[in-house]
Amino acid sequence: MSQYEPRIVGFLCNWCGYAGADLAGTSRLSYPTNIRIIRVMCSGRVEPVFILNAFENGADGVLVAGCHPGDCHYRSGNNQAEKRVEKTKKLLDVLGIGSDRLRLEWISAAEGEKFASVIKDFTEKLRIKGTSPLGKPLEAAPVKHNSAESIHDVLKRTKALYCQECGKCSSSCPITRLDPLYSPRLAVEKALMGLEDAVLTDKGLWSCLTCYLCRQRCPLDIEYDELIRTCRYKASANGIVGNCSHEGVLYSLSRLMANPETRQNRLDWVPQEAEIAKTGDVLYWVGCLPYFHVVFDDIGVKHIDIAQSMLKILNAAGIKPVLLENERCCGHDLSFAGDLANFERLAKMNMTAIKKSRVSTVVTTCPECYRTLKVDYAELFGHPKFEVLHSSEFLANLLNEGKIKFNGKLDKKVSYQDPCRLGRHMGVYDAPRKVITGIPGVELLEMERNRENALCCGVSAWMGCGRHSKQMQMERLAEAKNTNADLLVTACPKCQIHLNCALSEKLPVKREEVTIETCDLSVLVAKALGTDFLS
Amino acid sequence: MSEKPTVLVIGGGIAGIQASLDLAGRGFQVYVLEETPTIGGRMAQLDKTFPTMDCSICILAPKMMECFRHPNIKLITYSELKEVKGSVGDFHVKIHKKPRYVDETKCNGCASCTEHCPIEVPNEFDMKLGMRKAIYMPMPQAVPRCMTIDRENCIECKLCSKMCRAGAVDFAQQPQEIDLNVGAIIIATGFDQYDPSEIVEYGYQKIRNVLTALEFERWVCASGPVGGHLLRPADGGIPKKIAFIQCVGSRGRKFGTPFCSSVCCMYATKEALIIREHAPDVSVYIFYNELRAFGKGFQEFVNRAREEYGVKYIRSRPGEIREDPKTQSLTIWYDDTLTREIKSLADVDLVVLCPALLPRAGNKKLAEITGIKLDDCGFFKVTHPLFAPVDTNIPGIFVCGYCQSPKDIPDSVAQASAAAARAAEALALVKVQQVGGGT
Repeated sequence: MSQYEPRIVGFLCNWCGYAGADLAGTSRLSYPTNIRIIRVMCSGRVEPVFILNAFENGADGVLVAGCHPGDCHYRSGNNQAEKRVEKTKKLLDVLGIGSDRLRLEWISAAEGEKFASVIKDFTEKLRIKGTSPLGKPLEAAPVKHNSAESIHDVLKRTKALYCQECGKCSSSCPITRLDPLYSPRLAVEKALMGLEDAVLTDKGLWSCLTCYLCRQRCPLDIEYDELIRTCRYKASANGIVGNCSHEGVLYSLSRLMANPETRQNRLDWVPQEAEIAKTGDVLYWVGCLPYFHVVFDDIGVKHIDIAQSMLKILNAAGIKPVLLENERCCGHDLSFAGDLANFERLAKMNMTAIKKSRVSTVVTTCPECYRTLKVDYAELFGHPKFEVLHSSEFLANLLNEGKIKFNGKLDKKVSYQDPCRLGRHMGVYDAPRKVITGIPGVELLEMERNRENALCCGVSAWMGCGRHSKQMQMERLAEAKNTNADLLVTACPKCQIHLNCALSEKLPVKREEVTIETCDLSVLVAKALGTDFLS
Repeated sequence: MSEKPTVLVIGGGIAGIQASLDLAGRGFQVYVLEETPTIGGRMAQLDKTFPTMDCSICILAPKMMECFRHPNIKLITYSELKEVKGSVGDFHVKIHKKPRYVDETKCNGCASCTEHCPIEVPNEFDMKLGMRKAIYMPMPQAVPRCMTIDRENCIECKLCSKMCRAGAVDFAQQPQEIDLNVGAIIIATGFDQYDPSEIVEYGYQKIRNVLTALEFERWVCASGPVGGHLLRPADGGIPKKIAFIQCVGSRGRKFGTPFCSSVCCMYATKEALIIREHAPDVSVYIFYNELRAFGKGFQEFVNRAREEYGVKYIRSRPGEIREDPKTQSLTIWYDDTLTREIKSLADVDLVVLCPALLPRAGNKKLAEITGIKLDDCGFFKVTHPLFAPVDTNIPGIFVCGYCQSPKDIPDSVAQASAAAARAAEALALVKVQQVGGGT
């Protein structure tokens, strides 16, 4: 350990922290050389993802330094920094990196000595704590899956060679309707003409929601989602990346989970009275809910409620589920963003962990995990011995077998948002509806576009959430509102994030035209069972 | 084998009728086996024909009557094929004749029974848009001109029996097994319409102002459910904008069929013309994928629709049809693939889907009974698509019409004549061999 020298990345604000470091230098104060300084205009500029990226790339600690409260050059940037650092600390705790590897300090331009002593102290503490658990940064890995394919092979595999250029895809695409620069038809047409560069450099490549509406309707069964995914992989192999929402923090989290050294601390949310087991038949696959709970704490959705509700329901049905201590991101978002290398890493580790648990059924509350575990993992590793079910299917079965019974009544009119991964990708339309209508007193009011025709919530795989996404969300929320329902139930945590996020912002329409409470299916069921351990 | 060389024709549509008349005219004895209570088939349901714009039943009905009256033709309607044994020149055929509960020899079709029958059910002949009684004739020109009692819906009040002055109603009628000895068989089972309700974005059977092409034929036909008035199905309003969508379920790989049904481009044009003749102020749009006007006079027909009738052709398979819940008018979203613009056509009163036309589901059973082969799509296979277009793998069994491959009326008629000629040839050969002649 005596050899170990911690590497610290410091994000210092131009006006205070950096000036303080400058003063330390000009005052010839000595402090450890372990810090690598990155000057930012304001500590408020430091996104959580900057900090996570530092850890991804081998940092042992991160320091964020800004002006003292009340002294911010931009009035409130440092307040913002404080919130973000708090959030990031929580993420680091869940990731198992530890919140004490991140420090926020207020250092003014006059505090050269404070700067030197903070660095000394932080370095000392990190020396004692030891190196980052992540070890060396991950290296680029070769991709097994279809990596050597030519564009012609991709067209053949995705059946795009059969395209009749009829325009059914483009006139269905919710994005093309708002932004004619992108259309599934034009993407296929360019690829068919052999214009590979044009396809890969097209900005539209990153606009696609892979919501499957075009594929659902295409008479030739062209696999647009797969075509787009492969083209994104090809593009990112050439250094082209799309606009990612939330500055890519969720990709960063996924990549951190792709690190084999990562030991997460992701089960803190399990209530004491809940019964879980080390071994058993049923595994509850939680997905990224513990992370969403932190990242999206400011849009009025408590994601951990979904997991707690599911656990409560399983217990009520007499099932003690197995939870994986080090369950990793399923890799769905990375795979649809073109990062197939990290997707395959995650897939391999997750598959090993599930197999090791010897369960016969994996239940998940996330349709993206559901698709990925059931379809994408099977493509990589062959069909597994365990069965993968979405919570809606599992709950429908429980209801059917009479294993859960509702005592009271829940007087509510609800509408249901079909998640694209659950509905069109996987064909699960009836199970969630059976569960909803199975709750006494609940009336299901369908939106105009439902089931196969449902409109996507506007964002997928954290790709380019922009003007068009917001427009789609407004349209969808207004449609839900028009049903006269009190509650919009979804079966996907992400639909809930995106629809609520839209509502948390300034709206282009009258707020009362689109405001509707949202709720996850499992939360609704848990409420109907009695809400005793829901916070 | 009986004295007269005999042929069984399966299917009483235009192909079967043509083959029967050809053979009967040559002196052969012909049996026509028909599943429904009347011969006439799909052509009888059509309002007009393309590209001649003849009234379909007006040119078909005389041929149907000719079949009925011809001394060499015997119609076996409301019946099914049960068994075929033997070989060319000597097939032993078993037919199951369902009871009509009305004596064909007594009923004169006066319809006093239907007037009094209290039960109304959707009429299959009108694509279930109109109603019929439980004792019924599918259409006014039905051949044989005889009522049928639909026992599934009949409540056995026996009013029909009381009203019938001919004493034709016979509730005690039993199914009949008919054994025939025939020298050759011609199969002409025609087509079924693909049910487009699985193409959910077009809303068929959910949106009332969306019809299929065959429904529309009945809808605008003077003998149809609304007497040939051009109306909106949802509310009986007067339409101002009507759109046709081609290739619904055809030329696909997921839903429907991979093949082109070959007649939709032309019948849509014909129906567009019918609309413009009914109501010149209605705008008509045809959403097509590739306009297949391949036959004689077809392109000219389309040109005329464009020039003289102002029918608008748009190259696109629309993405979706959405209904305004208040007005029940429709909006069609489409990509105008020639200009590459995403557009919507609003305030459409009626959308006519042109679904794939499928070989009949019953072909499979027929293939099992007869031993002839089907292709992947369910069409009957011929021994050589170029040089033996009506011959099957069983000598003495021939196919013609849509059940062999997609085709229109003139092609079906031509092929029917070909099948009749081939059947005659086969029987002549048998005869020659029997009398000990050459070859």
